[in-house]
Amino acid sequence: MVLVLALGDLHVPHRAADMPAKFKSMLVPGKIQHIICTGNLCIKEVHDYLKSLCPDLHITRGEYDEDARYPETKTLTIGQFKLGLCHGHQVVPWGDLDSLAMLQRQLDVDILVTGHTHQFKAYKHEGGVVINPGSATGAYSSITYDVNPSFVLMDIDGLRVVVYVYELIDGEVKVDKIDFKKTATMHS
Amino acid sequence: MADDASASANPNPPPSPRSRQKHVPDWLNSPIWSAPPPPARHLSPPRATSPPPPPPQQPRHDDPAPSTPPPPPDRSDGSGGDDGAASSSRPHLLAEFTIALGRKVVDLAELRRLACQGVPDAAGVRPVVWKLLLGYLPSDHALWAYELEKKRSQYSAFKDELLVNPSEVTRRMEEMTISKRNGHNSEGTGMLPRAEIIHDEHPLSLGKTSVWNQYFQESETVEQIDRDVKRTHPEMQFFNGDSSDALSNQESLKHMLTIFAKLNPGIRYVQGMNEVLAPLYYVFKNDPEQNNDASAEQDAFFCFVELLSGFRDNFCKQLDNSIVGIRSTISRLSQLLKRHDEELWRHLEVVTKVNPQFYAFRWITLLLTQEFKFRDCIHIWDALFGDPEGPQFAMFKCVAFKGVAFKGL
Repeated sequence: MVLVLALGDLHVPHRAADMPAKFKSMLVPGKIQHIICTGNLCIKEVHDYLKSLCPDLHITRGEYDEDARYPETKTLTIGQFKLGLCHGHQVVPWGDLDSLAMLQRQLDVDILVTGHTHQFKAYKHEGGVVINPGSATGAYSSITYDVNPSFVLMDIDGLRVVVYVYELIDGEVKVDKIDFKKTATMHS
Repeated sequence: MADDASASANPNPPPSPRSRQKHVPDWLNSPIWSAPPPPARHLSPPRATSPPPPPPQQPRHDDPAPSTPPPPPDRSDGSGGDDGAASSSRPHLLAEFTIALGRKVVDLAELRRLACQGVPDAAGVRPVVWKLLLGYLPSDHALWAYELEKKRSQYSAFKDELLVNPSEVTRRMEEMTISKRNGHNSEGTGMLPRAEIIHDEHPLSLGKTSVWNQYFQESETVEQIDRDVKRTHPEMQFFNGDSSDALSNQESLKHMLTIFAKLNPGIRYVQGMNEVLAPLYYVFKNDPEQNNDASAEQDAFFCFVELLSGFRDNFCKQLDNSIVGIRSTISRLSQLLKRHDEELWRHLEVVTKVNPQFYAFRWITLLLTQEFKFRDCIHIWDALFGDPEGPQFAMFKCVAFKGVAFKGL
């Protein structure tokens, strides 16, 4: 039972001041084992805050990140799953699922987490699953102003993943979940 | 002294000099208090040396003795038989036990009296005796199978309910309420369907009734239990080796303690409970009878509950200063010591101003497990369980008398 927090595109301080208070009140240290961040934090303070939530932090570089040392892509294995991480501005057309599937095959992962579009998406294809956690602060994106703050928490339990989607809609936190199992058809 | 004869007949060194004070009752010189019991005690010093111990030294202690609530003559009688009976005539003792246990309805009083003499190590007698004395098994033989079955399945139910992690719980809840959704999306592409969550059950939930929230709150207790179990008896292979057996033993200890903590939110887990549980589990696990040792965990759990129920108040922080709490227990012990050995008591209280809390607390709450070697502790517990007033009172008495043994300090 491993809890993995996936979030990104905070754009602090340029486009947003901070994460919504309701989100911050839920994110307490000690519960989450890993954090994967798609990028565009943008400053060190956000990095430190995330580090305080969980020491195991993975970040990839977004185009506005001030720390240039983050990698472009990252892969890690948690339990039975291989996860891939990439900001997504490198994949053109932005948010296009076929192109992302290509990236996923390149990285050879079961779950690919990307951002940049600031819209939550969870998509499955025969190569695996693509998850976009959206923007944790609700910052406007290059494409649209209409963004709800959102992030994703994955509960990896053996061959099954439960993806909890946290969204702030009209000031209230709404939680949904998505269930899927790893099967033989997904590349091992 | 007659007792010296029996002591010197043992291959082990005689009891330490300090216990040879002339006003110490002879049963106190019994090997079980000071030296590890010999591994194979098949010696037969003359049985005549056993009960009753030589009178000259007795009268001095018989005077204060009757005033203590539980009658010591009963105690010294039983344990006086110990040094003789336990170290000699073991077949006799074994036979007596077999008879007592073989009865259709076991006479608990008789069993207690026998137990005070020390339970023989052979042939799975001890596990059965302990289970009977702690009230886990009923006295009627015919009911044993039924009771065991009932208790063991109850434990499995506890395990199933309490030791499951929240992911499992939510999965089960979901399977119960929502019928299987179509296609666990094993094939095909497309947007993954979003589903509603039930009852606000998500990992970051801060709700009081949330399974997740409770899990995280209890994780501290679980960590504490984990740390203590790893430290239990590090010198013993049974608990702390590299073998998978030792690991599974540790797992069992953890399960039992976690379930106890969850079932008793009033006292949760207190450091030291692992020490009380360890001998119980050890004895039951080493039961030569086949299906008994497989269910050692279940049996040990319930016996542990029985044992603690007698003095659970000692563990409850809020009751510390009350009449049933640990402070009053300690002061009662101190009074008992005063009655028996004014001089020693005065020495401790007045001269060196040693707060009884320092020594008594550990004795009482851990039932003397920390004071003796493991094997000795098991023998002492035989006598403790055998006392009709219950382990705590027996412990009082023996602790008070032991205080006398420390006279030499």
